[in-house]
Amino acid sequence: MLSPDRLALPDYEYLAQRHVLTYMEDAVCQLLENKEDISQYGVARFFTEYFNSVCQGTHILFREFSFIQATPHNRASFLRAFWKCFRTVGKNGDLLTMREYHCLLQLLCPDFPLELTQKAARIVLMDDAMDCLMSFSDFLLAFQIQFYYSEFLESVAAIYQDLLAGKNPNTVIVPTSSSGQHRQRPPLGEASVLEGVEASLFSQCLENLCDRHKYSCPPPALVKEVLSNVQRLTFYGFLVALSKHHGINQALGALPDKGDLMHDPAMDEELERLLAQVPGLVNSAPANPEAGCLPFRTPPRVGSPWRPLHHARKVDAESDGSTEETDESET
Amino acid sequence: MIPGKYRSVSGRAANNVNCGLHLVIQTSSLPEKSKVRFKQVEFKLNKETPSFSGRLLQHDLERNYSSRQGDHIHLASSSMPSFPILQRSSEEKILYSDRLTLERQKLTVCPIIDGEEHLRLLNFQHNFITRIQNISNLQRLIFLDLYDNQIEEISGLSTLRSLRVLLLGKNRIKQISNLENLKSLDVLDLHGNQITKIENVSHLCDLRVLNLARNLLSHVDNLNGLDSLTELNLRHNQITFVRDVDNLPCLQRLFLSFNNISTFESVCCLADSSSLSDITFDGNPIAQESWYKHTILQNMMQLRQLDMKRVTEEERRMASVVAKKEEEKKRESHKQSLLKEKKRLTINNVARKWDLQQHRIPNIAPNQDRKVSDSSQDPSQLHGSTVSAFPEETGSLDSGLTNDLQGLSVTDTHLVEVDGDTLSLYGSGALESLDRNWSVQTAGMVTTVSFTFIEFDEIVQVLPKLKIKFPNSLHLKFKETNLVMLQQFNALAQLRRVDQLTIDPQGNPVVNFTLWKYYVLFRLSHFSMQKINGTEVTQNDMIMAERLFGILAHVASSELPQYRMISILGDARKKQFRYLLETKGKKPGLVNEENNDSKRLVGENTNRAMLNYTTRDFYNERLEEIKEKKKFCKMYMEDLVKEATEINMKNEALQKLWPQMFIELVRDAVIEIRNKNSYMKLCLQQITDQN
Repeated sequence: MLSPDRLALPDYEYLAQRHVLTYMEDAVCQLLENKEDISQYGVARFFTEYFNSVCQGTHILFREFSFIQATPHNRASFLRAFWKCFRTVGKNGDLLTMREYHCLLQLLCPDFPLELTQKAARIVLMDDAMDCLMSFSDFLLAFQIQFYYSEFLESVAAIYQDLLAGKNPNTVIVPTSSSGQHRQRPPLGEASVLEGVEASLFSQCLENLCDRHKYSCPPPALVKEVLSNVQRLTFYGFLVALSKHHGINQALGALPDKGDLMHDPAMDEELERLLAQVPGLVNSAPANPEAGCLPFRTPPRVGSPWRPLHHARKVDAESDGSTEETDESET
Repeated sequence: MIPGKYRSVSGRAANNVNCGLHLVIQTSSLPEKSKVRFKQVEFKLNKETPSFSGRLLQHDLERNYSSRQGDHIHLASSSMPSFPILQRSSEEKILYSDRLTLERQKLTVCPIIDGEEHLRLLNFQHNFITRIQNISNLQRLIFLDLYDNQIEEISGLSTLRSLRVLLLGKNRIKQISNLENLKSLDVLDLHGNQITKIENVSHLCDLRVLNLARNLLSHVDNLNGLDSLTELNLRHNQITFVRDVDNLPCLQRLFLSFNNISTFESVCCLADSSSLSDITFDGNPIAQESWYKHTILQNMMQLRQLDMKRVTEEERRMASVVAKKEEEKKRESHKQSLLKEKKRLTINNVARKWDLQQHRIPNIAPNQDRKVSDSSQDPSQLHGSTVSAFPEETGSLDSGLTNDLQGLSVTDTHLVEVDGDTLSLYGSGALESLDRNWSVQTAGMVTTVSFTFIEFDEIVQVLPKLKIKFPNSLHLKFKETNLVMLQQFNALAQLRRVDQLTIDPQGNPVVNFTLWKYYVLFRLSHFSMQKINGTEVTQNDMIMAERLFGILAHVASSELPQYRMISILGDARKKQFRYLLETKGKKPGLVNEENNDSKRLVGENTNRAMLNYTTRDFYNERLEEIKEKKKFCKMYMEDLVKEATEINMKNEALQKLWPQMFIELVRDAVIEIRNKNSYMKLCLQQITDQN
C-alpha cells in the first residue's frame, strides 16, 4: 500500500499519468448532457456502462476529435475501432485515395482533421504523389504511427531537420556529409547533398527525446532496433520502418499483427449473418421502442434472402402508417 | 368602205354583227380572263392586194366570225422614203369610215394615213412596228391597238386626246411614259412588256382597267390618282410587295397571281381597301403557307372571291377562329421564349455566384473547413433581391398555358421551377420557396427534386420540409452541391423514401470516391433504391455494400453503450421535432405521422440509425455548447480531486503519525492509571461532575 513509487508522484501528476481525471471529467460531462435520458435508468448504471465502454474501447465511437486524442488509450481504441469497422474494405482489395480514407475516418469521428490523414498518407507514399492510391493495411499501419505518436513524431521531425541542417541539439557539431549510400528514397527538405542523417546520431537524439518526452513514445529499445539496421535514413524512411515494425505494433496493442490484419473471425461471423439478410434488412420488425431500451440485436429475419427488392418496398409501405396509400399503388 | 359599226368600250355585252368589220371591245364581267377581249371579225381581203391582208386575229377564240368583206388597202410609196402612205379605196372609206385594220401587214413602221381624220379605231396588231408615229393627225381616235409589235417606247400619242382604249401588249416597252394627254383613257393594256415601275399614270382618272401582266414589276406603288380603276392585272411579275392599293377607291379586282409575295405584311394595304372583292394570289409563295387562306380571309373581310373561288361564310368563320388561335399561340410562344431566356439568365447568374462563393472561401473565412453558408453576407447578392414581375404573371400564365410548364418564381439570385414532375431549385435562396403554399395537385405530381448550386448542408436543413410538402418525391438530383463526405449521405436517411439518386460529378467531389455508391446503398438500404446515377441497383451491389460496411453498422449499434445510443437517437429525433414544432397548426394526422416517423426511425435499421449527419455548423455549435459544461465538469472534478487528495494526504499523514500517536495515547493512558487510587478518585469525580 505504501509503495514508494506511488508516493513519489504528487497527487495530480499521478492521476494525470493514468488519465483518470480525463475520464472522470468526460463521464460527468456526458452525464450532464444526457441528464433526462440517463436519469431514467440511474446514474450508477450510467457510470458502469461508461467505464465498461472505456475498458472495451468503444467509448470513442462518434466522439469529437479532442476527446479521441486526449489519451493514449483513446487513441488506441480508436485505431482498433477503425480497423474493426473498415477491415472489410481492405479485405475487398480496394485501393483508396487519402481523401477517401479521411472520409471513412470521418464516419467515426466527424471532425477528424485532415492534416493527420495527410501526414499518414505522406508516410505511406514517401511524400510523393499525394493522390496515389493506398492499400488498407499500408494506410492503417502508417496512420497508427502517425496518430498514436503524433507529438513524438513532431519532435522527431524537428530533430531531423536540425540534423539535416547540421545542427545537433545534443552534442558537438558533427559533419554529416559524404559517404551516404545512395538510397532509393528521395531526401527530405531542401537541396542538400546528403540523404538523410546518420542513423547512430539520430538514434542518440531520439533516446534523449524519449527520456524527456512527456507524451507517449515508442519503446526506446525498439527504436534503437529500427535504427541499428541502417547506416543512414531519411525521415520518412524511418517512419515507414517504424510503421512496419511488428514489435512496435505489438507494443501499441491496438491492432493485430500485420499478417492478421484482415482476420477477425468474430466479425466475419457477424457479417455473414448480416449478409444473409440483405433483402430482408428493410424494416423487418419495427418493435415499439420504449424510451430507455432499444432493441439493437440483429432483427429477426423476414422472408427468404432472395426476395426481390421491390417486394421489400411493400413491407416498407405497410409500416408507414395510414397516410401512405400512394406508395402501395406504386408497387 | 368599211362599214362602220362598232361598239365603243362600255362594258356592255357584245353585239354580234354579221357583216363587215366588227370590232367590239368587251370587258367581261366573268373573271375567267381579265384581258380585254377582242371580238373580231375575220374578213377576207381583196385579192388584189394580198400583201395587205387585214386579217385580224382573234383574241377571243370562242367567238369566231368569218367576214364577208375585204378591205381594200392600198399602200403606195410616199415621198418620204421610209414611210409608206396608206390609201384606201373610197368604197372602203365609206364602208368603214371610222376603223382601219392593218393587222399582219409586216409593217415595220407606222404608215402615213392620209385623209382618214374620222378614224376612231386603228388596229396595228401583229406587225413589226418599232415606233408609234404618223398618227398624230387622227385626233378622233378612240381605240388604238398595237398588240404584238416591237415598240420600245410609248410616244407619238400626245394629240390623241380622245383615246379611250390603248392596247400595247406584247411589245418591248420599258417604261410607262408620255401618256399625259390621254386623260380619257379607259383601258390601258401594257401586258407582256418590260416595264419595271408603275409611273406616270396618276392623271388617268378615268382609267378602269390597267393590265400590267407579264412585265418586270418588282413592287406596286404609285397608284394614287387612278380614281376609277376597277381592275388591276399584275399577274406574272416579280412583285414582292404591294402598296397604295387603298388609294384606289373603286378597285374591285386585283390579280396578283404568279408573283413573289410571301407574307401578308407585304400586301397589308389590301386590308384597308374597302372596294376590293376579288383577288388572286395563286402562284405566289404565300399561297403555299398553311396560314394563307385564313390570314387573307381574316384580314380582308370584304373579299368575295379568292383565287377565283367564292368565299363562303364557313370559310370566313374558320378563318377568324384559326387566326385567333394563331395569335394566341404566337403570344404564348413569345412568352415561353421570354421565360426560357429569363430562366437561362438566372441560372447563369446563380452559377456565377456559386463559383464566386466557392472561390472566395480562402479570402473571406479564415477557417478553411467552414463552408460558406452565410451567403447573406455576400455583397454581390444585394442587388439581386428584387422580385421579378413573374409572380404576377403566374396568374395569366396559368390560364393560358398548359400544365406542362409553370415558371414560378424567378429572381436574380435563385430560381424555382416546377416542370410537370420535376421541381428544380437553383441557388440557396430557392430553398425558401419550400415554405410556400403549394397546391396539393402540383405538389403531388412532383416526383423528382433537383438541387443545383446549393450547399448540401443547407439542403439538409430543409429535408424535413421537403418530406412533408412533396410527399411523392422519389428521385433526388444533386449538382454543384458540395457533397464531399460520405457522412453527408446519412442525412438523406430521414426522408420517407428515395427510389433514385443522381449525384452529378460536377461540383460533388464525393463521386470521386470508389466506395460512395456502396455507402449510399448501405446507409439508405431501407429505401431499396432502384437506381443510382442512372444505373440499376443489383442484388450484388447490395451485397457488396453490406459486406463493406455491415460491420460498421453492427459496431455502431451493438457496441455503443446505451446512453450513447439514446443520446444520438435523441438528437436526431429532436431535430425532426424541431421543425415540426416550428410549423404551427398541427392536425392530429400529422402528429401521428411524426410518431410513425420516429417509430420508423427507431424500428427500421436501428443499427444504421446511429449513423447520422450533422452539418458542420450544427456540429460546431454543439461543441461550443458543450464547452461550458466541460468547463464546469473540469472545475467540479478538480474540486473532487482536491477533496480526495486532501483526504488522501490526511490519510497518509495519519498513517505516518499514527504509530507515534498510538504510542502517545498508550503512554498517556498508562500514566493516568499508574496510581490506581487517584485514578479511581478522578473517575468518580468525573461522574459526579457529569450529574
